[in-house]
Amino acid sequence: MTQEMQFKTIVAQYCEVTPEEMNNTMRFREDLGFSSLDFMSFLGELEDTFDIELEGEEALQVRTIAEALDLLEKLQQEA
Amino acid sequence: MGTLIRDVLEDSANKFADITAVKWLKKKEIFERSYSELMKDAVAVRKGLLAEGFRGKHISLIGASSVEWMESYLGIITGNTIAVPLDAGLPGEDLIDLINRSDSEALFLSPRHKALLDEFLKQCPKLRKIWLLQEEETDSADERIASLAELKAASQKADADADRPEPEDVATIIYTSGTTGKSKGVMLTQYNLASNVEAVEYTAEPGTRVLSVLPIHHAFCLVMDWLKGFSLGATVCINDSLMHMVRNMSIFKPDVMLMVPLMIETIYKKLASVDAAIPKKAVAANVFGGNLKIIFTGGAHLDPYYIDQFAEYGVDVFEGYGMSECSPVISSNTPKIHKAGSIGKPLCNVEVRFENGEILVRGSSVMKGYYQMPEETAETLKDGWLHTGDKGYLDEDGFLFINGRVKNLIILSNGENISPEEIENKLALNMLVGEVIVTGENNGLTARIYPDQEVVAAKRLDGEAVHAALQEFLDQYNKNQPTYRQITGLVVRKNPFIRNSTKKIKRQEALVDEPLPVA
Repeated sequence: MTQEMQFKTIVAQYCEVTPEEMNNTMRFREDLGFSSLDFMSFLGELEDTFDIELEGEEALQVRTIAEALDLLEKLQQEA
Repeated sequence: MGTLIRDVLEDSANKFADITAVKWLKKKEIFERSYSELMKDAVAVRKGLLAEGFRGKHISLIGASSVEWMESYLGIITGNTIAVPLDAGLPGEDLIDLINRSDSEALFLSPRHKALLDEFLKQCPKLRKIWLLQEEETDSADERIASLAELKAASQKADADADRPEPEDVATIIYTSGTTGKSKGVMLTQYNLASNVEAVEYTAEPGTRVLSVLPIHHAFCLVMDWLKGFSLGATVCINDSLMHMVRNMSIFKPDVMLMVPLMIETIYKKLASVDAAIPKKAVAANVFGGNLKIIFTGGAHLDPYYIDQFAEYGVDVFEGYGMSECSPVISSNTPKIHKAGSIGKPLCNVEVRFENGEILVRGSSVMKGYYQMPEETAETLKDGWLHTGDKGYLDEDGFLFINGRVKNLIILSNGENISPEEIENKLALNMLVGEVIVTGENNGLTARIYPDQEVVAAKRLDGEAVHAALQEFLDQYNKNQPTYRQITGLVVRKNPFIRNSTKKIKRQEALVDEPLPVA
């Protein structure tokens, strides 16, 4: 499974959109229906799955799937 | 029955001396403190406050849950001082307003908020001292700034201890959303807190693990996770971040948790996403840590659907009802007596009656009043009866049900009470905003705005430009707000809001945006 697909599989736990149906411009809250806590919990899962550490402020500015994937990639490069 | 919260805490420190009172994580390592150690620290804080001349004074606390926060809080409320826990997520200007309005003369501040130190000292004229909630000394040249460790160390030289407070003395002031757009300081006495802790019918073995996931400045968390937990000899485990709630469940393996409905909804999504072929017992062990049997929930309505679903995973969910003004629990379902869909039976120390459908409550947990707000107090407390602002009824078995609200507060499923007026007042400051109403929809806040037509015309804005400008304004507004107060939806109206005969906007019709009838 590609990293992007693995990422989208985690996203799919919190919404009714399948990984295949997701496009990267979708917004977590408005388009995927994430609650504020869904999003926090999702960030925690990203940390555990991809072995990264998220800084609260930066992570909370993320609005779309593309932005989250960019942040993930950036943090992995920094690690 | 103890009449002081101090009695309850001292009793626990004696009975459960060697049991772990608090556990927390620091860089993935677990730390703990026993009941005797925690109480020793609280006494050190109490003596230190007395030695520094804070007898009878109000002291604010700003920070997330931590053992330092809790020992400071216990030190304040077991002495002759009054604790004012504030929401650490609020913007600096709001915190300054609350420190000033609560007449706080000292502050315990989490090191994460260090950047606000100067502003607090500059803009809060009554503030004489700030202690950082840390075990290290500070390097500040300003003698008004010290650390919790320094306060405790200084108290070792002091012999004098604070007198026992009286039952009717105010122990804490908790700020809650006000319907007039200004938050109100709920004054709870020693007796209020003690009687609520004792009246909630839940017992557990000493050492029972409670994972505390709610914000500590909330009455529900503060009184039920912590003070009630301490009264039972429970071990309160601190959840360091909502991001790690599920991970921390597997680390601390709690037996019982308090949650707001939003948390139950999020956890359920995780449970439901697991392959149906995997046995539910295994799923529960993985998600809940393996020991969780009970979740108490309150703060907002829970769809009874979740109660049945969680039962399949071996976890009983019991819904209760309360408000800060009632210390906070008014009624609760319990393992012994419960009915799904209800909010349980009223506690033994409260009487309930109804006035035009509104739930009125009287009893030993009902607050003394709102701090420095006699009018609001008189409106809410009439002849000892607390007007809850909720509509409800008792069924034939004595269970309480809620079926509406009298006041304008928006209750989100994370338990936050939002005063729409408070936000509307701020949004209305933008020139482009002609009229605005904030509504709670899809568990978030939506701003419904009728643009100021003169500004639209002067700036020659089309519909798209108006929407973009308003969205940009909301994005800016959101940046300084805690998540629960952010506006997640925007509706730009074509028509002004419908008003009643006194020209007030009819909130119940705020969702209607139809052409105005011809006059």
